[in-house]
Amino acid sequence: MIDSLINFLILGTIQGSIYALLAMGFSLVYGVGGILNQAHGAFYLITCYLFYWCYINLGGFGLIVGIVVGLIVVTVVGGLVYILLVKPLKDSHVGVVIVTFAFAFLIEQVVKVSVDPLYHSMPLLIEGSINVFGVKVLNHYILVVVASLVIVTLITLFINKAKIGKSIRAVAQDAEAASLMGINVDRILAYTVMISAFLAGIAAILYVPIDIVAPHIGWSILINSFAIVVLGGLGSLPGSVLGAFIMSYANAFVNFILFMPEISALIPIVVILFMLILRPRGLFGKKEID
Amino acid sequence: MRIIIKKIAEFPSNFQSYFRDWISTFRAKVTVICLIGLSLVPLLTQNPYFLGIFTTFMIFTIFAASWDFLAGFVGQVSFGQAVFLGVSGYVTAYLIRYLSFPWWLSLVIGSIIAVIFGLIIGIPALRLKGPYLALGTLAMSLIMYQVFLMGSLATMWENAFGTNLFGAEGVSQITPISSDTVVEYFATFLIMSVSLLILTHITKSNVGTIFKAIRDDETGTSASGINTTKYKILAFMISGLFAGVAGGLFAMRFRGVNPGVFQPLYSFYAIIIAAMGGLATISGSAIGALIFVFLGEILRDTQDLSLLIFSIILILFIRFAEHGLLKPTLERIQELWDIVLGR
Amino acid sequence: MGVILEVKNLTKKFSGLTAVNDFSFEVRRGEFTGLIGPNGAGKTTLFNLISGHEKPSSGTIRFDGRDITGMKPHQIVNLGIARTFQLVRSFRFMTLLDNIAVSCLSPRGKKVAKEYGIDEYASSILAAVGLVDKARIPPIILPHGDLRKLQIGKALGTNPQLLLLDEPFSGLSHEEQKGITDLIIKLHDDGVTVFMTGHVLRELMHLVPRVVAMHQGKYITEGPPQEVANNKIVLEAYLGKGSEQLA
Ligand SMILES: Nc1ncnc2c1ncn2[C@@H]1O[C@H](COP(=O)(O)OP(=O)(O)OP(=O)(O)O)[C@@H](O)[C@H]1O
Ligand SMILES: [Mg+2]
Repeated sequence: MIDSLINFLILGTIQGSIYALLAMGFSLVYGVGGILNQAHGAFYLITCYLFYWCYINLGGFGLIVGIVVGLIVVTVVGGLVYILLVKPLKDSHVGVVIVTFAFAFLIEQVVKVSVDPLYHSMPLLIEGSINVFGVKVLNHYILVVVASLVIVTLITLFINKAKIGKSIRAVAQDAEAASLMGINVDRILAYTVMISAFLAGIAAILYVPIDIVAPHIGWSILINSFAIVVLGGLGSLPGSVLGAFIMSYANAFVNFILFMPEISALIPIVVILFMLILRPRGLFGKKEID
Repeated sequence: MRIIIKKIAEFPSNFQSYFRDWISTFRAKVTVICLIGLSLVPLLTQNPYFLGIFTTFMIFTIFAASWDFLAGFVGQVSFGQAVFLGVSGYVTAYLIRYLSFPWWLSLVIGSIIAVIFGLIIGIPALRLKGPYLALGTLAMSLIMYQVFLMGSLATMWENAFGTNLFGAEGVSQITPISSDTVVEYFATFLIMSVSLLILTHITKSNVGTIFKAIRDDETGTSASGINTTKYKILAFMISGLFAGVAGGLFAMRFRGVNPGVFQPLYSFYAIIIAAMGGLATISGSAIGALIFVFLGEILRDTQDLSLLIFSIILILFIRFAEHGLLKPTLERIQELWDIVLGR
Repeated sequence: MGVILEVKNLTKKFSGLTAVNDFSFEVRRGEFTGLIGPNGAGKTTLFNLISGHEKPSSGTIRFDGRDITGMKPHQIVNLGIARTFQLVRSFRFMTLLDNIAVSCLSPRGKKVAKEYGIDEYASSILAAVGLVDKARIPPIILPHGDLRKLQIGKALGTNPQLLLLDEPFSGLSHEEQKGITDLIIKLHDDGVTVFMTGHVLRELMHLVPRVVAMHQGKYITEGPPQEVANNKIVLEAYLGKGSEQLA
């Protein structure tokens, strides 16, 4: 009983930290550009497999190369997705939705064809564990929580203090007014998608060592990000962080307290449906969905 | 507003003149030629393998047309079309396998249940617009996939009813429409023709006008005094009906279904087929499905590679050729036609 | 001549801003009334509240003696209030005929349209607004003036008793304004109650016998346009916004 309670707390916190990174990026792109990026899970997948590929082919040293390459590539891909696919179709909601969906599919197939369609696992980024009140806690877990805490803080500071961050907020408020003020809206949107892709990349690197590597995981990442953002309120960054932890504790509760891992995949849809029916603007959202 | 009513123009009012007008158009001639051509295929070959491919192509045509109806004419982009396909597929398969219902009755019941799912999806979908709807429906199909995959449900069901419904195997060993592939071919052909006819007719009717209005401007439609909620639900039910028809046929064609039919993959198939044919065309789905099924057959041994190619095709079509193939092709053929006739 | 529209203590708050503030007024059946106020006065918001596109924070709206506060837009249309939008909206990929037909297919429009046939009825409306020769083309290729006419045509398709026109002249040339003016006068003569906004006083001056003035969401005054134009608060409101709108 105590064991499962501790598992619940630890794994809920870990997953919450990861989800926070994912949902923050997803929400940011929506809040700034009105784009619901169906390829968000694909960003995760790209980093995940680059990381894995480097590790397999370059050994222990490959972990570091994998992190660097994975993050750089995914950020660039994020920019390219915006410039080549989303921007030309911006006037057509249907077009953006389908094209990012197709891109997500494409990445899944590229992974299957170029690597393989099987499940794999990765080693922890740092070995060892420490004892907290008699409970063994992996050092990697601590890394995950600390790293994501730092990154969430940095991104929040960046958006609120840095010059680009201010432009991002201006575009989020009123793109037309921002462009009249001389802000290049397309460039800001490209940056926003890149930030979001980068965050998804970080999430992948932190989470993959304790999760699986498989071609289909992008979809559950996408659905979970969507559910969290619907829960926290579309476009609200604090909302997505809070939503991330609510979701992950709910998930951990089902897994470690109720022992019903099978239904944990149902949580996001239940959350989505409930929120959309009961409170469509989410916990923190300012505007209703329209 | 008494003064403004004057009779301005004549409109064809009865079916005969409507039909005469229709058949005189170039599109109608092409449609008729295509249908005749398709009905002649079994005369050329009775090879079950070939006829089977054609049957598959026709099933996918119905499925993609049901998506195109919803997205192209009502503006509701669903990524969960697979839900209808799967639900009806499961019901049809189950009724045939365990209750020994005749295939047509199973198909009808399966499709009706898909309509009910149209209602179930339609109601929350009313709160969702544009991309939310897409993601919401995607989530819905993933959930169906998970539910049907559940091992615990499988055991529970088996203990309660002694049959297999849930679980990875799905419902298998279904008898097809007929052991004679020619009969199977013609049954599917008939169902496809009728489905496309009804869908096309709906888009041209008064209800279709309202659907298109919702697609173009939902707020404006409500300002025109239309209860958009009612019509959106109706659209989901119609779309569900035909996707359900495709699902039942699918189950019989492949002798069974498994949870895989609920995957986003099948929704993706519908989208790529409709996009290749051209959005908002209904019959364009036939061209898209033809390419899709035959290309898929050629790349059969490398399924992942073929999906990779299809993803690229879809991206290119949406990005560069939003009209798809149907309209441009018809225009080319018409030019040729005019030249041949020396006009 | 009974009261057809009665607005009482209507208030609409957006986060941090009260766009319509404790607003009350009446429109009588068959009247031709204007609503004036400088940019941002809250005119469009008031229209949105009446037509059901926004929900009021408080207050009531009665139409024909019936409380319609909080009803859905389509329900309100079917009681007999039709509106146009300041930013023109149309069904972009449908023919003009079909654009009108949508309104004729509403329950209220249909009652009349059925007698004549939907398409005939829709095309007679197109004729009335002067677009019948363009019946088969989609609105994306129309000039702005025609789009304004189309707006009115779409409203007429629902067979309204009360027509709310939000800035029907905005963005139009002099010629085009004249066409719309004639159309509106014709409709009013035909028995439709008309309530229209304008932020340029001059446009309404010679058209309507009575205007209601609004500023920062509040009711200021009402009366014949000449009188209202000389009202001190109205003058100040407009002067604050630049006097060219007054002239
Ligand atoms: N949805 C909304 N959310 C927040 N504020 C709004 C909203 N709609 C309108 N406003 C604000 O309410 C005020 C009144 O706007 P409204 O459009 O009603 O004015 P108006 O009189 O129609 O002006 P104009 O002459 O420019 O058409 C403005 O300050 C506007 O910014
Ligand atoms: Mg206005």
